[in-house]
Amino acid sequence: MSGGSVHETVLSWSAGRETVIGVRADESVLGAAERADLALPFGCRTGACATCTGRVVDGWIEHTRPPRALKDRHLAAGYVLLCIAEPRSDCRIEVGSDVRTELVSNPWK
Amino acid sequence: MSDARKPNETSTDEAQPGGSEGPGYTTPQAAIEESTPEKVAYVMGLYVGTDVDAPDFLGVVDVDPDSESYTEVIDRVEMPNRGDELHHFGWNACSSSCHVEGLERRHLVIPGQRSSRIHIVDTKDRRNPELTKVIEPEEVFEHDLSAPHTVHCIPDGNVLISMLGDRDGDLPGGFLALDEDFEVEGRWEPPGEIEMNYDYWYQPRHDVMVSSEWAAPKTYYPGFDLDDVEAGDYGRRIHVWNWEDRTVEQTIDLGEEGLIPLEVRFLHSPEATHGYVGAALSSNVFHFHDAGDEWRAERVIDVEAREHDGWEMPVPGLVTDLLVSMDDRYLFFSNWLHGDVRMYDISDPSNPRLADRIWAGGHFGDPAPVQDRELAGGPQMLQLSLDGERLYWTTSLFSSWDDQFYPEEAERGSVMLKADVDPRRGTMQLDEEFLVDFGELPAGPARAHEIRWPDGDCTSDVWR
Repeated sequence: MSGGSVHETVLSWSAGRETVIGVRADESVLGAAERADLALPFGCRTGACATCTGRVVDGWIEHTRPPRALKDRHLAAGYVLLCIAEPRSDCRIEVGSDVRTELVSNPWK
Repeated sequence: MSDARKPNETSTDEAQPGGSEGPGYTTPQAAIEESTPEKVAYVMGLYVGTDVDAPDFLGVVDVDPDSESYTEVIDRVEMPNRGDELHHFGWNACSSSCHVEGLERRHLVIPGQRSSRIHIVDTKDRRNPELTKVIEPEEVFEHDLSAPHTVHCIPDGNVLISMLGDRDGDLPGGFLALDEDFEVEGRWEPPGEIEMNYDYWYQPRHDVMVSSEWAAPKTYYPGFDLDDVEAGDYGRRIHVWNWEDRTVEQTIDLGEEGLIPLEVRFLHSPEATHGYVGAALSSNVFHFHDAGDEWRAERVIDVEAREHDGWEMPVPGLVTDLLVSMDDRYLFFSNWLHGDVRMYDISDPSNPRLADRIWAGGHFGDPAPVQDRELAGGPQMLQLSLDGERLYWTTSLFSSWDDQFYPEEAERGSVMLKADVDPRRGTMQLDEEFLVDFGELPAGPARAHEIRWPDGDCTSDVWR
């Protein structure tokens, strides 16, 4: 893709905190956050576990591998796996551990 | 890192108990007679999946009632990375290597369930263990495996780890072998013997191993989804292996009543061909045994689902852990969603008899606080003292599943509780004086999972 460009990415936590980081075209949002010394939740780093789930509210993201942990309904709702997600435009993404908990609920309740 | 002052008397490893050449005890009865009461417990502590910016850790819990730091987390060995989800772990050697001169039960093999990273911790100084080696995930992925689960040592000093997925978190899983220097030796079994994997137990005298099934990592990692059950993405089979040949000889489909068979426990006697497996979702316990011409599995305990006020469907107990006492007389298991721990007399292995039960936490346990501490989860991973008189448990199952069923545990952290067991009368009583609060740690509230003893466990020791 367009190597060299940097996409301005707003990370937004549910508690109201927001931070802007620059994500290079060839790095994941998680990788860029780590470079900026920002702690985001993560687990497998292979797109299987959904621990790093974020939700894109504005912008364009591409996954570099199949996002195995997300179902079609999740992808349609804008959920992405930040360990394998690369921005293709400036973005605004909801992050933090409670984004993952939205993927599934208590089925008996 | 230490959370408490170093005690004056630092207990280090002692001579091999029982006077045998290698680690462990010559027989299960020797373990009961020759062991001394546990003084420290090793407990998995977790921050994975939370916003707490700290790695998972091995917690050292003081369980010596005569100690000043009784019921405290006296030391934490932090892992070098975040995101591991430490889950189950095991020893480099157990009583199965009792005959191997020079081998010590000293190193813990601690996998990250989500990261596929494998850590080696030296417990020479029992109260201050030390991380000595890390196997990075890439080395595991090379063998097309991921999501390490159960660690057992095998009789020659090597280590075997059940692996739940392929390198992408999909099926099939398999087994990874480490050599005695904790180098990855490779895949233990011919690829493709099984699809799903989870726990396993072996009985070398009978040349047999039994393994169970959870699901593909990509299925269970994000959380529990009934759609996945309906799609057949969760396990319901157990596999009987030829231990020497490393091949599956028989697969038993437990059917609808055996959905998600998790922990596998053989009786400890090396002569025994009886064992149990708990089916978490169906909330049943199956007894399996060698019937001569084939292995059979029969449902012997059925936990009824219960109506819950305000919930739409009857709630299963969710049998998530079980163990057999060292004398092979009692079976204990936890109903994580209901909130009870049960004790069954298994003198007749195919006819377990309910002996006693304790309610503590859970969604039905009328959860009375222990020492004013609200319990944010249900009883989960169990561990029993070798003499069968003290049963301990923690409350976290798996970070993403906790968040679905006990969301408050992320804010409050786990607890470790204890019951006093009377094996002669077959009774249990919650010890209200015992509470280890993982909600009170420096980096923030932590989850707590599997428990191990330095001198052998009711859930890991095997005899040859």
